[in-house]
Amino acid sequence: MSAVSRTWDQLTLPGKFLAIVVPLLALLTIGLVLVVALFGGAIWDIVLANLPAVRFVVAVTALLLLSPPIAFVIIYMEMKIIALMNLRIGPDRVGPWGTLLSTVHGLKVLMKEDFTPNQADAVVFTWAPVVVFATAILSALVLPFAPGLFGQDLNLGLLYFFAVGGLTVVGLLMGGWSSFNKYSLIGGLRSAAQIVSYEIPLTLSVVGLIILAGTLSLNQIVQQQAGWFLNWFVVRQPLGFLIFLIAATAEANRTPFDLTEADSEIVAGFSTEYSGMRFGFFYFAEYIGVFIISGLTTVLYLGGWNAPFELPHIALTIDVGSFSGWLLAIVAIVPVLGTLILALPFFLFRSKTRWWVALIIGFVLFNVLAGGLVGLWAYISFDWVAGLFWFLGKTFALVFVFVWARGTLPRVRVDQLMSFAWKWLLPAALLNLFATAFAVVVAGV
Amino acid sequence: MDRALKLRLETRFGEQLHGPVRQRHDETEIRIAPADVIEVLRALHDEPELGFVVLADLAGVDTGDTLQVVYHLWSGTTGDWLRVTAEGLPREDPRAPSATFLWKGAEWMERETYDMFGIIFEGNRDLRRIYMPPDYTSFPLRKDFYLADDAARSPGAGVRHMERTHAPTDLVAGSVRRSKA
Amino acid sequence: MTATLPPGTHASADDPNVLLQDDFDSYEPIPPYPPRTEREAEFYTLGDGEMYLNMGPQHPSTHGVLRVVLKLDGERVVDIDPVLGYLHRGVEKLCENADYHQTISQVDPLEYVSSLFCEWGPVMAYEKLLDVQVPRRAEYIRVLSGELNRIASHALFMGWFALDLGGLTPILWSFIERDEIVEMLAALTGQRMLFNYFRIGGVNGDLNHEFLSRLGDWMSRAVGQIESNTKLLNENEIFVRRASGLGVIDTDMALKYCMTGPNLRATGLPYDIRRAHPYSIYPEIEFDVPTRTEGDSLARYLLRMEEVKQSLRIIDQCLEQMPDGPIMAKLPRLLRPRPGRAWAALEGPRGLYGAYAISDGTDQPFRLKIHDPSFIHLQAVGALLPGHLLADTMAIMASLDPIMGGVDK
Repeated sequence: MSAVSRTWDQLTLPGKFLAIVVPLLALLTIGLVLVVALFGGAIWDIVLANLPAVRFVVAVTALLLLSPPIAFVIIYMEMKIIALMNLRIGPDRVGPWGTLLSTVHGLKVLMKEDFTPNQADAVVFTWAPVVVFATAILSALVLPFAPGLFGQDLNLGLLYFFAVGGLTVVGLLMGGWSSFNKYSLIGGLRSAAQIVSYEIPLTLSVVGLIILAGTLSLNQIVQQQAGWFLNWFVVRQPLGFLIFLIAATAEANRTPFDLTEADSEIVAGFSTEYSGMRFGFFYFAEYIGVFIISGLTTVLYLGGWNAPFELPHIALTIDVGSFSGWLLAIVAIVPVLGTLILALPFFLFRSKTRWWVALIIGFVLFNVLAGGLVGLWAYISFDWVAGLFWFLGKTFALVFVFVWARGTLPRVRVDQLMSFAWKWLLPAALLNLFATAFAVVVAGV
Repeated sequence: MDRALKLRLETRFGEQLHGPVRQRHDETEIRIAPADVIEVLRALHDEPELGFVVLADLAGVDTGDTLQVVYHLWSGTTGDWLRVTAEGLPREDPRAPSATFLWKGAEWMERETYDMFGIIFEGNRDLRRIYMPPDYTSFPLRKDFYLADDAARSPGAGVRHMERTHAPTDLVAGSVRRSKA
Repeated sequence: MTATLPPGTHASADDPNVLLQDDFDSYEPIPPYPPRTEREAEFYTLGDGEMYLNMGPQHPSTHGVLRVVLKLDGERVVDIDPVLGYLHRGVEKLCENADYHQTISQVDPLEYVSSLFCEWGPVMAYEKLLDVQVPRRAEYIRVLSGELNRIASHALFMGWFALDLGGLTPILWSFIERDEIVEMLAALTGQRMLFNYFRIGGVNGDLNHEFLSRLGDWMSRAVGQIESNTKLLNENEIFVRRASGLGVIDTDMALKYCMTGPNLRATGLPYDIRRAHPYSIYPEIEFDVPTRTEGDSLARYLLRMEEVKQSLRIIDQCLEQMPDGPIMAKLPRLLRPRPGRAWAALEGPRGLYGAYAISDGTDQPFRLKIHDPSFIHLQAVGALLPGHLLADTMAIMASLDPIMGGVDK
């Protein structure tokens, strides 16, 4: 035992981490292989029998696994873009152009002390971040990322989205009220008032679109926007788009409506007493919320996974089997040849480059080129690749707009926020609704 | 140096002035008793030929024997600053009338003077310490208050532990936690 | 192993070897003592539905260490009680034990953002005590560097004001502005922030090549840069709606609260010490005194931006009219003014900076009293805030531009 404890004492913290995790992972892998080998058939039968449940589980797992990377990307975008707007450099050191910084932030947040304030309501305090994060993930279940790539195609998809998304306010209130802190209380109450007020213009602005589309299913709304970008609902519902975007900014607690976490007045609002991973949950949930709401805007108004132009359908039929023996030659020779050809200009025209450095550059470039060609082939052959590409492109363009607004605009005050929602956005949304209804019924649009 | 101002002050406030009106560079100085402060300030503020509407400063001074309250005023009618010194406040119980009836902004200046000298301004609604903690018992800017190094030997010593000199034997043995790392 | 403990300490429950200095479990609600004055009693009695919120000395946007106890009714502020003293350094007492020259560096950190004005007041007072005539070149250099410091201070104000309202970008742009000016002043004085540049009878160093080249560079871009920096805020609907009509002061109230500087001029009264009671060589320089009549936060902000333009004019004229000559008057090294009193006041970025110096014939001042405008303006916050919302607390305080170093001395 003393040998073990001495070895343990000599390890550093990452060493201790790995010493536990690696054997555990190995054991789990072996266990998984055994289970699949022994019970694989029985498990597959159960899966086939309960397809919807399995689909739900897979979708939620995929979303949970994908949300940290997406959040990291958005956090990095925010840090870098706001820095560039501020005429600073922003994250620069960790990773190329600082791209790994948000990952490091995520790890740091895991290592912080996780405490509950002395007189806080411990149960509510612990569950608040979970509620906020869970509602964000659940609402993303109905978002169609690409043709065939969605959690569920509910008939009431849009209604489900607003319903579950509105539950976020429960989590924020829980967090604000249970921390024994007046700043959190004020932040939580502000957020409740804000989210509840802006739900109404949000949903009302979409009703015009629902009238035009005739369905609440997000998948079908996207399918109706196929073709040129003039088919997109933003062209037919510009006022609705504008109201929706403003209300969405308020729903996501983003500047100029970020007074729930206004750190010049109430320190950190509802999340003042949170630290460590719990604060990380709130933080993540905010950025996932930004992504999801941008995704919803894309789906509703900007054509979802449709390309802005109509591409002629190319059917790539390359029968790989017909190459027979030549395939081996191609796979052996093309990479080498490509590396050499791409390395040659660097070696010849830049005398500083040594020959092996030129080869490395050539190799990297060849990989990039090959990857690009494979991507192009995937884009042409699989419609979900193309759909995902366009969906993510449009969503991140909207995320950029949100980040841009944060860098530029100051914050509104609570009473200005409420009066804006009730006196301006709500009548505008109603106007939009009546105009659309009029156009459909009378003018037969 | 505004001779006309000197004349005006001497005619207006004759008996209330202690000594002649002194002038140097661009300042005119009058000295009065604390009891006359209200009347003099009100006259200086309200009367249109004098018109000293801007209170630039309210200071306390410890001359070593007595305490003083010094007001600096500005008027549009003259090119000089006017200094009004209410002098002769006794050290044991220094009291002066408050100027807050004319200028609300004198409230904090009087609080500072009270905090630093102990002068009680009658009529100030909020005469409590402003810089020092509320349980401080001495008045720092008095001449018989020494800086913290010598505070233990001064009659004006405070009771806070940082003003007492610590002998090393005061510390409890083993009271500092040491780490094995 | 517990021994007899010094008073005010108790042993930790977990480890008796650890001494804790404070008993956090027996924390009393504010205030921990019975009210001493009627105003304190009035403030510390809660009405129906009101609560106290402590914006403590550590807060992202009190301008330094300021503690403000707010009495709130929901989000509406009913009353406030600022608690000062967290940055009190005893400067006046320290100056009584220092030479006349040493007091200049003691007085620098009072309003650290505009240090030159903090030095200028006492230096002018000492010069009156000594009957010293400052050479003209030194006066011009003083005015030049002072106006540069004014621009730097106003640039910081703009950034800070926008930050308190939520905009993240203007503060960084204003720091670019301020950094250039501060580098210039570092070339002239040797220091970036607490300059210690003015001397009794003149200034410490003459204009040098680096300073002049940086100044020339900057001046050629200054107007355009300032325009583009302020355009983001001036034309922003949200900013204008937040700041206009906020914390309105009228001239009577301003005079009653002894306010001076841009806060007073924004109410309509064109009172500028450089014109009302000229000092140094300001009578020879042409500039306007910008005034606004609305008296709200937006007016104060716009007024300070206009003052920056006037400061640029002054700098231009200083450079043109700069005479040759010595930069220091001939004075003995050990200064012993004859017994007397002197008061000097000047117009700093925040208002009237005053210094009252009493000399008793020795080489140390008998009393140096500093009058600081931030101290005065912070009083007015107590009268302006009630009725506004919590979010306006910071906006109003920021628009009055207090610097806690000056408030606390």
